[in-house]
Amino acid sequence: MNIRIIRALLKKDVALFLANRFYLLITVVGLVFYIGIYFILPAQVDEKLKLGLYAPVLPSAFAQLTAQQGAEIGRYDTEDALKKAILDGDYQIGVALPAGIMDVWAAGGRPRIAVYRASAAPPELGDAIVALVKELSYAQTGQALNFDTSAEVLGPDMLGAQVALRDRMKPLLAVFILLVEVMSLASLISVEIEQGTARALLVTPMRASHLLVAKGILGVGLALGQAVLFMALVGGFSHQPLTMLTTLIIGSAMVVGVGFFLASVARDVMAVTSWGTVTLVLLAIPGIGTIIPGLLSDWARVIPSYYLTDTVNRVANYGAGWSDVAANLAILAGFSAVAGAGGLAALRRRYR
Amino acid sequence: MAEKSIIAENLTYRYGSVLAADHISFEVDAAEIIGFLGPNGAGKTTAVKMLTGQLRSQEGRAILLGFDVAKHTQAVRSRIGVCFEQTNLYEQMSALDNLALFAELFGVKDFDGYGLLKRVGLNGREKDKVAGYSKGMKQRLMVARSLVNRPEILFLDEPTAGLDPVSAEAIRNIILEERERGATVFLTTHDMWEADKLCNRVAFMSEGRIATLDTPSSLKQRYGKRSLLAQVAGSGGRVEQREINLDTPATPEAVGQLFKQERVITIHSEEATLEDIFIAITGRKLTE
Repeated sequence: MNIRIIRALLKKDVALFLANRFYLLITVVGLVFYIGIYFILPAQVDEKLKLGLYAPVLPSAFAQLTAQQGAEIGRYDTEDALKKAILDGDYQIGVALPAGIMDVWAAGGRPRIAVYRASAAPPELGDAIVALVKELSYAQTGQALNFDTSAEVLGPDMLGAQVALRDRMKPLLAVFILLVEVMSLASLISVEIEQGTARALLVTPMRASHLLVAKGILGVGLALGQAVLFMALVGGFSHQPLTMLTTLIIGSAMVVGVGFFLASVARDVMAVTSWGTVTLVLLAIPGIGTIIPGLLSDWARVIPSYYLTDTVNRVANYGAGWSDVAANLAILAGFSAVAGAGGLAALRRRYR
Repeated sequence: MAEKSIIAENLTYRYGSVLAADHISFEVDAAEIIGFLGPNGAGKTTAVKMLTGQLRSQEGRAILLGFDVAKHTQAVRSRIGVCFEQTNLYEQMSALDNLALFAELFGVKDFDGYGLLKRVGLNGREKDKVAGYSKGMKQRLMVARSLVNRPEILFLDEPTAGLDPVSAEAIRNIILEERERGATVFLTTHDMWEADKLCNRVAFMSEGRIATLDTPSSLKQRYGKRSLLAQVAGSGGRVEQREINLDTPATPEAVGQLFKQERVITIHSEEATLEDIFIAITGRKLTE
């Protein structure tokens, strides 16, 4: 590999990237936009207990709860109205007490208490509410009372909603920054082929591999540089910085491989834009799963970017270490290697 | 005997079922300008691509400066220059940066970009973006780029096509200067007048084959028809034209009769053009 040639090509590619106002604009605006979104989103989870309640007869202990700080109880006249309020997002959790609850208890029976949980609420919240009802019933009668509960989740399941929204966005934004470079890289290569400049380069002593290595370095540099800058600004390196950096490097390599593939199948810049959009949407799907937990099931694992998004999410938001994400990283690295080698081979054929 | 710069032996290339180059064989001496002439699709560009290593010949071989192109592609490329028919410059970069990039790729030390741009008449516009250049300026820059490494063989694919007379003449002068320097020039063109003026030898390409290869003067002698064209005063004051073939035994008598029997107003000789000869040999026009 001739370093002088690669350096010359890189210098040219950077000059062309900087000379192209469109690429430069979307890069800078995109980065500012992503960072802006992060800081605009709420930084904290709402810790106040908000409980919807349907209780034709309200036991006094429950009534006292409404007066407590840190609790917001909303009463509904019907069980259906309570469920609607939860579905509408007014409350994350609701409890429906049967009309004759006190009589059933008095007769030594086991009333059935319905607990409704919004899909955005973590499952533990349901358990906590059941425990709270037990506490209240104890407070009401001075003894532990038996009751049965029926739990119902309203809406799609959304595990992990206890993470602040902007932190849930962090992996999506970081991965998006990487993925956008798929299109930039593919466009740079496609323009080189479309305008015939690749042909001019290839009648000099350089080889096609020099050209592709230079493009690969540029692609990794652009993607990684922006992702690292973003993560540094939003505190993405506060947990396991080395693991995070490694993940972003492997993710950047994946971006280059996919970019090469895209450039090899797209005839011109328009085709890059069309195919690139489809690719981008597909690869962004796993990122959406971090905002809406439970939205995606196991099928999302067939999308390679799942392993990138999931790793960034687990490292950034849950402090996962090497051992936790090793399998993810191995799969991601494997896919990056396959995509990179396949893209290189496809592009070499095209350059020839 | 002069050293051979280019030896082509049975170069053959098929694009699917289309035979673009059909066992092309020829040799070119050092410091010779050879012209490849032919209509679109005749196989000229395919021949250039095989000679410069852009395409690997499916049969035969090309030897440039003593190197087999297929085996020593990089060594050959470092000593040749290629100017493409279609403009393929980095338009967002300046002319100087375009040349500097290629100088770096060729590993040229002490590269004088300003000097080269002055030579092709682009001095004063060195740092302008190429996107703002006219077609003629871009073509001159393309030629300059092919000269960055002072090539021993220069391949020029239709270098003056569609250019204004001034730009075309500037490029023709550079071609002649390069030959003076000792470079071999491989020129493909549609322009028969240009080929006649510049080339030591010309090859007529048709349907992937070399129909003939010789010096322009030999081709004219072999295939051309020389004649005398005279304008004479006819009956009623009308001007009429007479043509006398110069290559028949009856020529002297026909000339004598002309002057005896007619009042000659003007007379001049006419020789065949390469275009006439191309049609005579291939049965096709260059613009087909």
